[in-house]
Amino acid sequence: MKTIVKATNLSYKINEKKLFQNISFDVDAGSALHIKGGNGTGKTTLLRMILGISKPTRGSIESFAYKDICFTGHKNALKQYLTVEDNLILLSLNTHINLDKYLTDLDLHNSLDVTVANLSFGQQKKLALLRVFLNDSDLIILDEPCVGLDSNSQQILCFFINEELKKDKCIIFSSHIRLDIEANILNLDKL
Amino acid sequence: MKIFYFEFLKLRKKSRGWIGPILVFVLIMTAFPLTVEFLNEDLDQAFFSVLWIALMLVMMLATEDIFLEDYNDGSLEQLALKNQSLALILGTKIFIYWMLIGVPISFIGSFYGFGITRSFDLGLNILPILLVTSYIFLNVFSFGNALSLTKGSVLGTLITMPLVLPLLVVLGKVVISINIGLNYFGFLALLLGILSIIIVVIPLIISFIIRAHLE
Repeated sequence: MKTIVKATNLSYKINEKKLFQNISFDVDAGSALHIKGGNGTGKTTLLRMILGISKPTRGSIESFAYKDICFTGHKNALKQYLTVEDNLILLSLNTHINLDKYLTDLDLHNSLDVTVANLSFGQQKKLALLRVFLNDSDLIILDEPCVGLDSNSQQILCFFINEELKKDKCIIFSSHIRLDIEANILNLDKL
Repeated sequence: MKIFYFEFLKLRKKSRGWIGPILVFVLIMTAFPLTVEFLNEDLDQAFFSVLWIALMLVMMLATEDIFLEDYNDGSLEQLALKNQSLALILGTKIFIYWMLIGVPISFIGSFYGFGITRSFDLGLNILPILLVTSYIFLNVFSFGNALSLTKGSVLGTLITMPLVLPLLVVLGKVVISINIGLNYFGFLALLLGILSIIIVVIPLIISFIIRAHLE
């Protein structure tokens, strides 16, 4: 199986405090990696290293993804003063063939003309996740994707991820909640 | 082209971002003759000084949160992940700001030049200077705002202010040339030369600064 992300002896130190050291892992196409750990163990930092935004103190990390990486993090990257529809235009998702299906599934179809600032936190999270549901990437990275989601939306997300894995996509996510996804586990608490 | 449209859509919907600086410019240029003396015949002597300083201040105001909003809501993070050049995206963003703020202000400035000096030629001659200068100011102040992205825009302005002071000297010389009927195209070529370097170098530097902020 083709390796999409390869990390070798990763270490990260912030203000002389070691967050983690000597982490190595490979994530292949069609497989998922669940990064677990308590608050402040470095889950987000590790994900940002995979994205290429942060640099490790030691070690190396390589991504062999061909297309743009699909990522949702703590910040939703939505424009609060624009409507849902305008935000979909900005995300280039307004003409996607599956848009209507996911808008209906996530109960956002009646909110197209609503300004994002007037949506609840959970609705904003669902809108941000449309970027994932309608992605065209071979590598998907999700930082705490279930925060603020109701159980129905969580189920839709898990089902979607399992389907994406069948399409040989590589998925790396961090979550405190146990998700029904077949994934290798990297527990930063135990390192 | 997509980036161009997206940035245009954002700025169009956030009208206070571009109408505000234009109104401030109009206010300064309208208030200036009132504070001196409305029918003072020497009004045009001080006009150009006020025009250049107003242009500089308004461009400073226009770039106040040019990157801050995208940084705070995570959009810059998403842009940095794209295979597309971040410098190109940022350069386009500055260009849109110029289109929506710099270009109207240049025309308004030219109109005021005509109104106050009562010289159509002079009003017309300063238009290309205003267009080029406003674009240079926007680039330089965007650089300052990128530097002080998380520290407030005042710091960035203070850092970049010395960079634009030589430009004010050149602008002063332009006005003297126009007033005494000399060919001012040499100065225009100089400004265009500065602009051609700036529009390539500054977005590139800003992209490095923003990546450092994101890290």
